[in-house]
Amino acid sequence: MRDGIATARNGIPAIALVTEAFWPQGDFVAHSLGMPSFPRVQLPHPVAGSGLVNMRAIAEQMTPKIIEAFAA
Amino acid sequence: MTDFLSAPDEAAALEQLHACHCTDGLPVVIPTDERVQRMILQSNLAGDLQLGVMGPAGNAATVEKIAVSAVMAGCLPDYMPIVIAAVQAILRPEFDLTEMQATTHCTAPLLIVNGPARVECGPVSSGFGALGPGHRANASIGRALRLAMINIGGGRPGTSDMALLGHPGKFTYCLAEDEQSSPFEPLHVSRGFAEQDSVVTVVGAEAPHSVMFSGNADLPDNASRLLDVLAIGLTNAATNNAVLGGGAATVVLNPEHALILAGAGLTREQICAELYQRCYFQMPADNPFRPIKSGKKSSGRSKRYCFNSPEQILLLMAGGSGLYSMVMPSWCAGGHKNSAVSIGFDANPYCEIPAFPASS
Repeated sequence: MRDGIATARNGIPAIALVTEAFWPQGDFVAHSLGMPSFPRVQLPHPVAGSGLVNMRAIAEQMTPKIIEAFAA
Repeated sequence: MTDFLSAPDEAAALEQLHACHCTDGLPVVIPTDERVQRMILQSNLAGDLQLGVMGPAGNAATVEKIAVSAVMAGCLPDYMPIVIAAVQAILRPEFDLTEMQATTHCTAPLLIVNGPARVECGPVSSGFGALGPGHRANASIGRALRLAMINIGGGRPGTSDMALLGHPGKFTYCLAEDEQSSPFEPLHVSRGFAEQDSVVTVVGAEAPHSVMFSGNADLPDNASRLLDVLAIGLTNAATNNAVLGGGAATVVLNPEHALILAGAGLTREQICAELYQRCYFQMPADNPFRPIKSGKKSSGRSKRYCFNSPEQILLLMAGGSGLYSMVMPSWCAGGHKNSAVSIGFDANPYCEIPAFPASS
């Protein structure tokens, strides 16, 4: 979230990818950095370490949502 | 039955309690008679009922004195059944409380709450930061036990509590198991209780040691690698579990690590058995600090295991999701090796509490 907001503040379109377990923390950071409605997409948890097949499936499932978030 | 202190106001009373070393160094709620009586009511026990004698001071641990500690710690009356059960646990001979209070080692009673009491006598938190600040029940229940150990047991630093440095868990050290999310049967069931029983398990524990493991589901030995690092943390060569052996230790798996082990088909008992097998030193000692009397020997006497049995490893799931599980080695001394004790109790003593004025 923090990286996404910093990127956006540099004029580069950005969204944050936040896993389900850390979604409340993402809300908190977005509020505390003054961008409560910063666009974000929720990923399942965990992603890291869950295996190549699963991570590829998550990527394929989430890519349209990421593109949609950028287009919004 | 009771001697009362008197003070002109609560601020003066607090200073008086600090001055007579009756606090843990932090401000306390002043244990007025009204507050203490309300706490006793929730226990559904007589105030003068004696639960045992608490060392090293050898004072009687009455329900009233325990209620005083609970009030001072900031407990709600709902928490009282857990506090009473925790005191009963540390008073059991196998817990070696008198010796534990006096040791130079850094150990504190860790309270693990299982069953309906997690909700009905709390809620006692089991998720993110459960052993940190921000959880009223966790903070005040553990603190009540410590204040009882100070004011009833007489454990005061430098005179009767000889811990060389202590650790922050000596202020409070209490959490619940995350039973809803855990893939394993609850800890108290593995210790002979029914799932619907409310149980507090008390075990002497060092401060939590972090065990980092970033799993990789593509590796066939993912679970085995996790067990390896847990064992390294649990009985590293500088722990009392490695040097003295034969005592308990605690493993708190985070949800991701629990799922890695469950995904490999391991049950709670199998995980403890695997850890037991991994916690050993070759004989003659390959531990540079030379384990002096570690636990059970292997049949060929080539190994010295750090535990006497897998049951000495208390395994539970708690905390947030991420890379870190926690292990708590223990003191491993005392006549009974400071054994873990589990006490079942009634989470609903069915005692109506009279209305309590908000100003009190």
